Amino acid sequence: MTEPSLTALASARWPEAHPTGPPPPVAGFIASTFSPLVAHVAEMCLRQRHHEPPAPPERAERTAIVIATTTGDLTTAVAVARAVDTAARVGPLLFFQAVPNAVAGYIAARWGLGGPVTCLSPAAGPDDALAAALEVAALLIDDGDADEVLVIRADQDPDEPARDSATALLVRGHVAPARPDARPDPADGPDCQGVQP
Amino acid sequence: MSGERVRTRAAITGLAALTAFGRGESALLDGVLSGRAAFRPVDRFDVSRRRTTVAATLAGGPVLIDELTWAVDRACAQAGLSGAARAETGLLLAIHGDPDAARADPADREHHRAGAMAIRLAGACGLAPRTRTYTTACVAASTAIADAATTIAAGRADRVVVAAGYLVDCDQFALFDAGRALATDGAVRPFSAGRTGLLLGDGVGAVVLESATAAEARGVTPLATVDGWGRSGDAYHVVQPRPDGVGLARAITAALARAAIEPADVGYINAHGSGSVPSDLAEAAAIGRALGPAAATVAVSSTKSAHGQSLEASALIELIATVLALRAGALPINAGFLGPDEACPLSVVTAAAARAAPAYALSLNAAFGGANTALVLGVGRR
Repeated sequence: MTEPSLTALASARWPEAHPTGPPPPVAGFIASTFSPLVAHVAEMCLRQRHHEPPAPPERAERTAIVIATTTGDLTTAVAVARAVDTAARVGPLLFFQAVPNAVAGYIAARWGLGGPVTCLSPAAGPDDALAAALEVAALLIDDGDADEVLVIRADQDPDEPARDSATALLVRGHVAPARPDARPDPADGPDCQGVQP
Repeated sequence: MSGERVRTRAAITGLAALTAFGRGESALLDGVLSGRAAFRPVDRFDVSRRRTTVAATLAGGPVLIDELTWAVDRACAQAGLSGAARAETGLLLAIHGDPDAARADPADREHHRAGAMAIRLAGACGLAPRTRTYTTACVAASTAIADAATTIAAGRADRVVVAAGYLVDCDQFALFDAGRALATDGAVRPFSAGRTGLLLGDGVGAVVLESATAAEARGVTPLATVDGWGRSGDAYHVVQPRPDGVGLARAITAALARAAIEPADVGYINAHGSGSVPSDLAEAAAIGRALGPAAATVAVSSTKSAHGQSLEASALIELIATVLALRAGALPINAGFLGPDEACPLSVVTAAAARAAPAYALSLNAAFGGANTALVLGVGRR
């Protein structure tokens, strides 16, 4: 039995070491920091690898996107609930950003990434969310639907945007001999070399 | 697909479904074979400010965690899983989120995370506390199925429970209404002339997936097998599907390759078939691109026309409906069909046909962000 191992090709995180302001807004996304945050760490990470969008087609078509968030876009969810409860108008743009797929689609279209899109919502904190995303990245690479995966972990504090945080990793896989103590269950995490989450 | 590895097929040994047709699989099967839809006026919450006022809803106020628990228990019982076997089995859950999350006290939000619901569900059903929660909109459940099948095929687990649930709620209804995504004429008409959009529907389901070898060792006869799967992205738009269907076609091609079958072997497609104009056009293009000449003759319907769009859970309800229909030797009817759309050159199932018993079916799904999945389901008639 073998299991996949991952190598990090590029990485980015938020907050940055020397932040110059909030993540820039993204056209079509309103009222919430979540999607701009995801788009920003993805942009910083992919620019390290590919410099300018789009990515080279031969790589891009087999690059997947996996987003993991314990909180989800709470600001959008709360805004919708408040509008419904007060009989206020629900803005149509909120419809499009109500699922994390939307910002994944923004990243995929901008960079030409044609691999699978998967969004996860683990229960535990940021480190476990990143581990969950890396686990699925390893699965997709091992299964052959992707060669590289843009892994994004993002969590939002709807009451204090300064506490928003995110990590992006672009990873590539290879099949390595299994660790002797590898457990045969889907929760087994991959190795991720070269970057601290 | 990787290497020369010997892969184990993933068998479905238990399943359960709750839809607006009622509790249980017979109600769902009868519904999708009847050609009648389950849409009715919404009375679960106030829709007086909405353009559309119907959905496929159960009576009363079902509670998501309770219905998920029912579904997982029922699927595990059908699979004949002992308590010990359950305790060794992980859970993949597809949900939009905890329905109470947006209105929870901020201090209590952590307990209302989607992942927390998966842990509660696993605990309530005696499953192992190894959970993964998928929120990838309309491909959440099909991605979970593909990932479970991958895990089993790679020998990393003998058995995985996949559960999914969505109960029509006021917030999503308001969002879909605001986005003008809902049908304006009270019906979902996939691939039909005159279609106007989708309608939401209750859907809660669970399946037990296990290696065919493990099922045989337990003396359990599989209900069906997940023989192939494919996942892809469109790289096209935030929410619109790629019109030429290239992305979804790649998922279909990957699924057929994993199943080691040809397009002509596919006897039925339960399409994503949302009933929206651009989505159905793109899907028809994808089917044509991936299946070639076989695309014009393979029977196609979308069971969303009957049970509605259950968002993150829809793909699992559609998988279950497909398995039930294949086993019954009949094809689900595409409800609401008014007449052909020449831009969707498919052989749409519009009336109860003579008995049809294909060996393989495709279940297709697509979502915002250009996420696509294709599953090949088999019922052992190869």
